[in-house]
Amino acid sequence: MPPPSSPLSRRRFLGLGAAAASGAALAACGGPAPGSSTSGGGSASLRMITPIFDRADGQKLLETLLAQFKKANPGVDVQPDYTSYGKLNEKLTTSIVGGQPYDVMLIGVGWIPPFAKKGVLGDLGTPAADLSRTYNPRVVQAGIWEGKTYARPIVLDTRLGIYRKDILSAAGITAPPKDLAELKDMAKQLTVRKGGTLQRAGVDILSNDLRQTFLPIMWAFGGDLFRDGKPAFDSPEAIDALQWMVDIVRTDKIEDYGFSSTSAVAAPLTQGRAAMAIGHNDLWRQFEEAKPELVKDDAVAGFTLAQARPAMFQGGTLATVAARSRYPQQARKLVEFLSSDQVAPQAAQQRGNIPAVLSAANSDYVRSDKLVGFAVQNLDHAFSEGGVPQWLEIRDQFKPALESALLGRTTPAKALQGLAEKAKAIMAKDS
Amino acid sequence: MSAEPLAARTRARDPLVARRLRRLALHLVLLVVSLAMVVPFVWMILTSVKTEGDLASYPPHLLPQHWRWSNYSTALSYAPFGQYSLNSAVIAVSHTALNLVLASMAGYALARVPFRGRNVLFLAVLATMMIPTYSKIVPQYLIAKGMPFFGGNDYLGRGGHGWLDSWWGLIVPGALTPFAIFLFRQFYLSLPTELEEAARIDGMSEFGIYARVMTPLVKPAIATVALLTFESSWNNFLWPLIVTTSPDKRVLQVGLSSFQQSDQNAWAYLMAGTTMATIPMVVLFLFTQRYFVQGFANAGIK
Amino acid sequence: MAAPATQLARSGRDDPPRTARLGAGPRARRGSGPRQSRLARDRRRTAYLMLAPATVHLVWWIGFPVAATFVLAFLHYDVLAGTATFAGLDNFRAIFADSTWNASIWHTVVFTFFTVPVAMAIAVVLAVLLNNKMRGRAWYRAAIFMPHITATVAIALVWMWMFEPRIGILNTALGWFGVKGPVWLGDPSWALFAVIMVSIWKGVGIKMLIYLAALQAMPQDVYEAAELDGASKARTFWSITLPLLKPATFFVLVVSIIDSFQAFDQLYVLTPDGGPANSTTVMTYEIYSKAFKEFQMGQAAAMSVVLFAFLLVLMLLSRRLTGREDDVR
Repeated sequence: MPPPSSPLSRRRFLGLGAAAASGAALAACGGPAPGSSTSGGGSASLRMITPIFDRADGQKLLETLLAQFKKANPGVDVQPDYTSYGKLNEKLTTSIVGGQPYDVMLIGVGWIPPFAKKGVLGDLGTPAADLSRTYNPRVVQAGIWEGKTYARPIVLDTRLGIYRKDILSAAGITAPPKDLAELKDMAKQLTVRKGGTLQRAGVDILSNDLRQTFLPIMWAFGGDLFRDGKPAFDSPEAIDALQWMVDIVRTDKIEDYGFSSTSAVAAPLTQGRAAMAIGHNDLWRQFEEAKPELVKDDAVAGFTLAQARPAMFQGGTLATVAARSRYPQQARKLVEFLSSDQVAPQAAQQRGNIPAVLSAANSDYVRSDKLVGFAVQNLDHAFSEGGVPQWLEIRDQFKPALESALLGRTTPAKALQGLAEKAKAIMAKDS
Repeated sequence: MSAEPLAARTRARDPLVARRLRRLALHLVLLVVSLAMVVPFVWMILTSVKTEGDLASYPPHLLPQHWRWSNYSTALSYAPFGQYSLNSAVIAVSHTALNLVLASMAGYALARVPFRGRNVLFLAVLATMMIPTYSKIVPQYLIAKGMPFFGGNDYLGRGGHGWLDSWWGLIVPGALTPFAIFLFRQFYLSLPTELEEAARIDGMSEFGIYARVMTPLVKPAIATVALLTFESSWNNFLWPLIVTTSPDKRVLQVGLSSFQQSDQNAWAYLMAGTTMATIPMVVLFLFTQRYFVQGFANAGIK
Repeated sequence: MAAPATQLARSGRDDPPRTARLGAGPRARRGSGPRQSRLARDRRRTAYLMLAPATVHLVWWIGFPVAATFVLAFLHYDVLAGTATFAGLDNFRAIFADSTWNASIWHTVVFTFFTVPVAMAIAVVLAVLLNNKMRGRAWYRAAIFMPHITATVAIALVWMWMFEPRIGILNTALGWFGVKGPVWLGDPSWALFAVIMVSIWKGVGIKMLIYLAALQAMPQDVYEAAELDGASKARTFWSITLPLLKPATFFVLVVSIIDSFQAFDQLYVLTPDGGPANSTTVMTYEIYSKAFKEFQMGQAAAMSVVLFAFLLVLMLLSRRLTGREDDVR
């Protein structure tokens, strides 16, 4: 019964693959992967998985783009497999376990270190310095592991401060908060309660994924996720950051727990039930669709979260090549194509996200979408999560810990220290 | 039942009034329960015709401000839903047909033919019903990939992609459910022995007895297994998602999931799509329900 | 649907055919002449042939995966690197050192309690109510069964809106009675209960149908006798209906346990990432999360093994329940 026992029997096989991949990494023309017979410039059939073209308009766009790619690279056929981020892991896991990873994988920032370390990804061979001419240098870093480039960015997404100009100016405030202390003071002033029931939150910190809300605040306070490869999210700065969040909910009563959630149909900011928010830049799309007057009247804008330093959360989707791809050369060409000046901006626009290429900074799209535009202007303040191979395992521990603190079940210090302990245990187990 | 004391008090005076009251109470209770059961569906349908502005309004309006029926056509244009529905239907019909044949045979053998190890086998069938999907999905994927002689595989199942992204992979693994075997067994178990013995004296083979004497008597079981198999196959999402890669083999539920985004859901379209996907199931149930509840009364008499 | 239950009810009453069959097993027939034994052999051969496709299918698609799971549970298996080494009991030690997993076992117990026995009790009551002849019965029946036939993901999203603390329909309704509803899905002490509510809502229809079927096949003469004796409705329910329903209960129990352990979608949609402060993680969710979010296949397999053990105990318990029933009769 070959299939069930395959984890064992495949071991040598995969070891060979990984070795071949790292060996092939330096070879300019891409050394032949095991079992490959067509690694030259000839015909190839590439399998590609993408979580960012899954809507109908996205699929149409990708098909057009791939037709262009095929024209430029005759004989190279691409079979895209559309999925969503929600089910990306299932598809990736089964394909990797099955020994048939996709030739080209579009994945998130957090996937790069584990996949690179375990030999799933192939070296793209372009030094970071070269890429920095095309992309913002901070963004390039997400694709680097131990000095080698494993991924090229396509689209970026950010979590940033967003405020309603109309609500702020009605309260006599003319400029967005310059730091988090001022943010809280403003928020207190802007919070509206009627008979104890919250009508409008001064700032909404609950509509976005809790970890992705906490991290930019932590970075703004001067904290780091990891220092010297060790967990640092229990540092005093990080504890201050979580305390800041807890105060909003528990002490200053700016927003009640349960006032909003990640699955809310519309963000309180859109509905006018919040004056400010820490949110995703793609909220702009919601404004356009649900409250177009906000866009027309120029009533929303972004601001960076600042305290010890300005910070913004930045994630993204990057293009990678499987180490075991039978057509590494063609796969690399496809990755370059997808992350190029011509293609990446179109992918970004379709998602309401930020094109990773520098050249798109002045495009019509970036200028018309105020939040995207703001994010592009401030990419120098962007921080990304991840950085250690165990990140995918560690990141899931954040939400329950942060929730415990917000619910008052534990103190911010204890919540983060417990989290750091867990992370250390996970990292110790793996090394 | 809640009107019991009231009914008891009035009973002495006027039995007819008491009966009426009790009936009224019964209808009230059932009406409330039924409403509670269908409220989510009503909400789903109302949501499916709302505009984005309507969805975002606060406090929300129960009824759409503007009934945008075009959500349905927009949802349909999101993906080739015609193709997806056809795929789903082909798979669901195959699953239903295969399950009816395979499970009824197995259920009959387990119920009517004595052999050593029968109880152990039955217990094993029970056990297989209870294994959660996520415990077996990766090994099943590997098995599908390693099917010998298929998809470029050699005799040891190496080298190719096996049943991945093929109709084989979509249909065969789900073609038999242990639940159906269990259900058929319970049905066959209850049939009297007289008919079987009479047929045997007439010289009918065991398979003949199964096919021509006993199976016609378990029509309610057939209706039940057919509906439940069709429904679970139609609504299945994870396996078709994992095993297929090319768009032309995608099924309806996988298509619907494209309305769900990690960042933002296309709520109205998702609800419109789901409403459309649910209608065939509701129709199927309305048409078959008499077999479950009324049909079995006959089976009981036979 | 009702049929199996009905027949269970019947086989409880007049079990002789079944006992006769059991008695007439291979060994019993051996002495009764060559014709009989040839017949028995032929029947067995046919039975094996009829069982063969199903057995092969189950062994192939469920047996092997389960076996693989047992092997994996004792390995350090690195999915990404593709390496595996023997781990002894490491995976088991690791999962039981994890407070989230231990909590998930308790959540599973609570979840199972409400979605199996409690939901079954609700189903019996509904079935008894629907067993009255009245207008609109088919519509009530259909309404109660409806939730079962819809894909869970979308309808769970609708429930999410209904649970919305401020404007959701549930808290609005509670507000009419002057009750301030909880935050439901955001509150660790209510989230699991909310998910349980949806699960009961989804699963009660099929349980009800099975019970209804069993009820309709019940002998009317017993009820008539009870009515002549002047027994109250409640008393009739407790001393006649319930005992007669016991055989059907085995069937419903099995169906419910399956539903309960396969319940994943509603949990995943309503409380993504395990709910507030990990308050709704059940064992199946943890297995999913370990395997597909953290790529820890070995630990996920160890969790599956623990879950199998859990199920085995439940299975034996439910068998014991009905086994005793058979002895009594």
